[in-house]
Amino acid sequence: MKRNIWILIYILFCPISATIAQQSGTNEEQLQKDTSSYLSNTTIGGYGDIVYQRNFNEKFSTINLERFVLFTGHKFTRKISFFSELEVEDAKVSGGEAGGEIALEQCYLKFNINPNNYIVGGLFLPRMGILNETHLPNTFNGNERTQVETYILPSTWRELGIGYYGNSNRIPLSYSIALVNGLNSASFEHGSVIREGRFEGRNASANNLAVTGSVQFYSGNLRTQIAGYYGGSVGLSPSEADSLKLTSGMFGTPVAIGEADLQYEAKGFAVRILGSVISIPDASDINRAYASNTPKTAYGAYAEIAYNILESMNSAKGKQMILFVRYEKLDMNASIPANGIIDGTLNQQHIITGITYLPIKNVAIKMDVRFLHTGKQNPSLSNPLAPAYKENNTFLNLGLGFSF
Amino acid sequence: MERRNFLKTTGSVCAMVSIAMVTGSLTSCSQLPIYKTAILENKVAVPLNLFQQTSLQIIKPAGYDYNIALQKENDGTFTALLLRCTHSDNQLSSTGNGFVCNLHGSRFDKEGIVLKGPAERPLKRLRTSLSSDNVTIYLS
Repeated sequence: MKRNIWILIYILFCPISATIAQQSGTNEEQLQKDTSSYLSNTTIGGYGDIVYQRNFNEKFSTINLERFVLFTGHKFTRKISFFSELEVEDAKVSGGEAGGEIALEQCYLKFNINPNNYIVGGLFLPRMGILNETHLPNTFNGNERTQVETYILPSTWRELGIGYYGNSNRIPLSYSIALVNGLNSASFEHGSVIREGRFEGRNASANNLAVTGSVQFYSGNLRTQIAGYYGGSVGLSPSEADSLKLTSGMFGTPVAIGEADLQYEAKGFAVRILGSVISIPDASDINRAYASNTPKTAYGAYAEIAYNILESMNSAKGKQMILFVRYEKLDMNASIPANGIIDGTLNQQHIITGITYLPIKNVAIKMDVRFLHTGKQNPSLSNPLAPAYKENNTFLNLGLGFSF
Repeated sequence: MERRNFLKTTGSVCAMVSIAMVTGSLTSCSQLPIYKTAILENKVAVPLNLFQQTSLQIIKPAGYDYNIALQKENDGTFTALLLRCTHSDNQLSSTGNGFVCNLHGSRFDKEGIVLKGPAERPLKRLRTSLSSDNVTIYLS
C-alpha cells in the first residue's frame, strides 16, 4: 500500500518538477521582470507606537503596542491611484475577548486632475485639525495624541465619501471640500461627545450626509488653517425617526464643528495652537431618544511650544532632542440641554511636558508627564460604592514610535 | 447665561483671530512665480529672463503629473526638483520657503532635503542644461 502511494506521488509530481526545472530560467526572469514593473508602481509604508503609562491615582501601569499601521498604495495609471492604511490596535484581536481592533484607516481611489488638483473617493480622513491627517508618532510631541484632538475633534476620523483637494497656482494656499456620510447620534456617549458616533466606513447610513471643508495657508514657516463640518446625525428611516421624535434626512439633527489652528516652525522652535467648537443644537432630542447626555456645546483648545536643543549643534547630524510643554483645555459639556446632566469631570485642563528624542527623523523615543485637573464630579453621576473621585491626576508616559 | 456669553465671546475672538491670521498672511505674502509650458520630446524649456526678478520658478508642464521647482543657485547653475513626495508619490504644495506633503506631513526645504518624515529620501533632482536663452529640464 505504502509503495503504491509513493508511486502515485512520483507519477503526479515528477512531470511537473521536470517541467518546472525546464522552464524555471525563463519563468523566473519573466516573473522578476513583471514583479519589478508592478512593484515600481506600488508603495509600502507604515507606522507604529508602543506606550508605557503609569496612572498615579490608580497606582497602576500598562504597556501596550497601541497601533501598527501598514500603508499600501498603487499607481494604476498616471491619473488614477489607490491608497490604504490597515491598522491593528493593541497588537492582538482575539474572538470573544475585549480590546484590540483591526480596521481600515483609509482606503480610497485618487483621481489626479492636474498637479494642483485631485479628487478622492472612498474611506479617507477629512482635513480637520492638525492630527487627523498627519498623526505619525514621530511628527507630534507626547506619547498620547492631544486630548482636544481625541475628544473634540475625534481623530483619527475617517468616513466614506468623495473629496476634492486643490492648491492655488499663485499663492501657497490649499483647500478641500468633501461630502461624506454623517454621524450616528444613537452611538453618542457621555464623556466622548460625538466620538462613538463615527461610522468609520462600516455600514454607514447614507440617509444623512455631511459637508466638510478647509482652507490652509502657508507663509514661510507659518501654516494656518480653518476647517468646518456640518452634517446630519440621524440616518434612520423617516418612520423610525418619527417614532423617536428625531429629525432625519440629509442634515437632520445636525452637528456643526468649527476649527482653527496654526503651526510655526523655525530655528528649532515649534509652536502649535488649535481651537475647536462642536455645536449640537438638537441635543435634547438625542437625549430624549437615547439618554446619552449629549451636550449642546463642547469646545477645546491647546497651545504647545517646543524647542530642539540640538538645533544649533553641528555634531548632532540630524538628531533632535525636543523639549516641549502643552496646555490643553476642553469642556465636553460646555452647555447642556434641559434634559442633560452637567458633569464637572468633563471640564478638563491638561498640562503635558516632556522630551521627544529623534535619533533619526523616522524614529521617536518619548517621555512625558501629563497633569490632569477636572471640575467636581456631579454627585448624581457618582457610584456610592466607588472610591471618591479625585480631581487631580498625573500620568507618566514612556514610548517608542516610528514611521517609514 | 455667563457660560453662553463666554462661549460667544471666545468663538467670536477665535473667528476674528483666524480671519486676521489668514488675511494678514495673504496680504503679506508674495505670489508664487508660476510658468506654464509645453513638453517637447520629454523636455521643457524655461526662458532665462524669468529669473531676473526671482531665483525660484514653479514650472507647470502641460499634461504632466507633477510641478517642478526650478531654482537658480548663487553660482548661476540651476536645480530642478520634482515636486513629488518621495514617501507616497503625492503632489507637494509650496510653502514659500519649502514644500509640504499633506498626505502624511513630510516637509522638504528649498533644496529638496527632508525636514520632517515620514519621507526619508530627498526630492528627485531632474537633469538640466543651459543655453543662451533657456534652461532645459529633462523629464526622464
